[in-house]
Amino acid sequence: MLAYALRRVLSTLPVMAIVALFVFSLLYIAPGDPAAVIAGDQASPADVERIRANLGLDQPFLVQFGSWVWRLLHFDLGTSIFTNLPVASMIAQRIEPTLSLMMVTLVLTIIVAVPLGVIAAWKAGTWIDRVIMAFAVFGFSVPVFVVGYILAYVFALKFDLLPVQGYTPLAQGFWPWLQNLILPAVALGCVYIALIARITRAAMLEVLQQDYIRTARAKGLGQGGILFIHALKNAAVPIVTVVGIGIALLIGGAVVTESVFAIPGLGRLTIDAILRRDYPVIQGIVLLFSFVYVLVNLLIDITYTLVDPRIRY
Amino acid sequence: MDRRTVLKGLAGAGGLALTGIAAPAIAQGANARTLRFVPQANLANFDPIWGTQYVVRNAAAMVWDTLYGIDDKFVPQRQMVESEEVSSDGLTWTFKLRPGLKFHDGEPVLAKDVVASLTRWSARDPMGLMLKAIQNELTAVDDTTFKWVLKQPYPKMLFALGKGNAPCAFIMPERIAQTDPFKQMSEYIGSGPFKFVKGEWVPGAKAVFEKFADYVPRDEKPVWLAGGKKVLVDRVEWVIMPDPATAAAALQNGEVDWWENPITDLVPVLKGNKNIGVDIGDPLGNVGSFRMNHLHAPFNNVKARQAILMALSQEDYMRALVGDDNALWKPLPGFFTPDTPLYTEAGGEILKGKRDFAAAKKLLEEAGYKGEPITCVVAQDQPITKAFGDVTADLLKKLGMNVDFVATDWGTVGARRAQKTPPAQGGWHMFHTWHAGADCINPAAYTALRANGDKAWFGWPTSEKVETEITNWFNAKSLDEEKTVAARINKAALDDVVFAPTGFFLGYTAWRKNVSGVTKGPIPLFWGVSKTA
Repeated sequence: MLAYALRRVLSTLPVMAIVALFVFSLLYIAPGDPAAVIAGDQASPADVERIRANLGLDQPFLVQFGSWVWRLLHFDLGTSIFTNLPVASMIAQRIEPTLSLMMVTLVLTIIVAVPLGVIAAWKAGTWIDRVIMAFAVFGFSVPVFVVGYILAYVFALKFDLLPVQGYTPLAQGFWPWLQNLILPAVALGCVYIALIARITRAAMLEVLQQDYIRTARAKGLGQGGILFIHALKNAAVPIVTVVGIGIALLIGGAVVTESVFAIPGLGRLTIDAILRRDYPVIQGIVLLFSFVYVLVNLLIDITYTLVDPRIRY
Repeated sequence: MDRRTVLKGLAGAGGLALTGIAAPAIAQGANARTLRFVPQANLANFDPIWGTQYVVRNAAAMVWDTLYGIDDKFVPQRQMVESEEVSSDGLTWTFKLRPGLKFHDGEPVLAKDVVASLTRWSARDPMGLMLKAIQNELTAVDDTTFKWVLKQPYPKMLFALGKGNAPCAFIMPERIAQTDPFKQMSEYIGSGPFKFVKGEWVPGAKAVFEKFADYVPRDEKPVWLAGGKKVLVDRVEWVIMPDPATAAAALQNGEVDWWENPITDLVPVLKGNKNIGVDIGDPLGNVGSFRMNHLHAPFNNVKARQAILMALSQEDYMRALVGDDNALWKPLPGFFTPDTPLYTEAGGEILKGKRDFAAAKKLLEEAGYKGEPITCVVAQDQPITKAFGDVTADLLKKLGMNVDFVATDWGTVGARRAQKTPPAQGGWHMFHTWHAGADCINPAAYTALRANGDKAWFGWPTSEKVETEITNWFNAKSLDEEKTVAARINKAALDDVVFAPTGFFLGYTAWRKNVSGVTKGPIPLFWGVSKTA
């Protein structure tokens, strides 16, 4: 297992290199000019040109790419064109809100979605199943920002229960931290809950048809034990896979959610950087996200061995 | 005790049991001393000479002081300067700094700091460049006196030093001002009424300014950028909110105190809230612009440009932008900001009255237009340009033009508009933008009105008449003379169609009623603003 994990970690290096080349090339050919944004509307073309030269953006592709890779090899993500701050420190400033949002969403999702899927499978074909699946279709269909606005209106403006926006670091207390994350996590979690509830239901339905479940019933085992101990464990592989894939959804969804709830996370940093063509920041974030994806995939593969002892690497 | 407090208590108790981390109590007094402000845009950089975006200028005006400041009559008043003297030939200006000026690091403001700051500023600012071109020397005479010797008189000297248009002539310590004007500085030390708290700056999310205890305000009443800048709060927090609906909800919920520019659609909701005040923010508003490329056919022919003016309905553009709120727009048959001294409608008949499509089509024909695609580059991520672009597409179609509508984002427009190549090779025929009314009160900072061909703003218009009159304005010695010249500039710019003005529009600002002292001005003014709990 350790050798496998090491092999997988090492195999991320060429993946990251390809991602780096792809991202850099994409940004190089993309239209837009950060120098024009910096110079502002009143600047002359000569001013824009001089700013571009100072930023090194007038250099040929290979020179720019070479110097970026050289810095990267020294664990330096570069400096933001706009803020003049190191990209690493900008990411560090923003990572806590995004991780917090993702973690709360993930916990909320698993707590809600898995039992819903199990119950829907158990009560398959009944009105309970239909209600849960209708909720899943709704959750999957309504955009995150619509859910966000509705939640903010009801729980913040109408009933004054939770704040509309912002983020409080965990270091300032658990409740201040959590209260800023409840509405965004519910908004972001809707799609995710719907997805996992549906997958859980489908996986459980298949497992519940198995002979050993019938045997368990014949032995007089309680329904809860059958569902959550015997069936759920055997249905876990596809659920774990979707939870992992869903992290991609969470990162994408975080971009919108962070904008709607004014959370200063990586999602908003990404949008801001793209709109301004802040190349070093975009490159740094994309590399980070790629690394997270690779890491999550590795963790999923390792988790398989825990839920299904037959799987060995 | 409200519901949130109860919930906070219950959940806080639970959280405490779980984590052992206590939620800090927020003192009422501290809350009342902190003003939370939602600015128009993200403060992505903080060098007001290197980056000239309005949001940078607005934040910079809190941190850096200027030698002069314009008041609401557009007259430059002394700010850091105690006195000035100009020689009888108008060539030598001698300025003396007022006593007690101090930078945020405790160092006194000296004449050498001013000289370095003006040198950096004059490399980037249009008026500064003019001064630099006629400069003999700019020197510090002693610690509090500096001298600017010119080769020819420059009657607009005080306006140049006090104007609010970006880049403003902000004064910085010499070591910082020695930074290349085309490179970003990394220290944000000023001598203005607020200190910038760099440690709390999260670009894209938050910027914090603290009251500078050692700032000595002037005795005069504050008026715009002039007068005594007395700070009545301890701290101003800029909270960046990209989503207007969130900003509106946060203001209603009391999570922020002042929102610089609420969008028109949400203003009725804010006006309906008894805790919120809403009024026009910047009385100088904005001038909408439809910019044509003078280098390429058909708009290299003045008749094609005049055809656009003849058919263009400013009301259509303004309604697309502000809806039915008539308080927010005015027709603008000219280029200068309405209700300012140089405003004129001379030559503006072409933009007034019923739109004449038949005559416009005839002019297009005379200009040789034969249905070639017209590349209209429209930024969809800016509500203003998106609205203008939709109206223009409709207008061009009505004129029988073949529209190549390039829907893109502002970043791309910013790069593409700099291309002089033919539209089919990555260039363009037209794009939209807008200019702050403060930049359009006179020709000083009105880069978009210049018509000096290759050196002009995007579109590169050429008009000898316009350029001659702009030079005459710079040399004008009285307001009456300036007004006469402005009328001639307006007419010449309309005759040659430097660009097509799409109307004058204003925006609201909104604040919670426990905040007082919010005044109308060309930028958000934080001095004189106070807050109760």
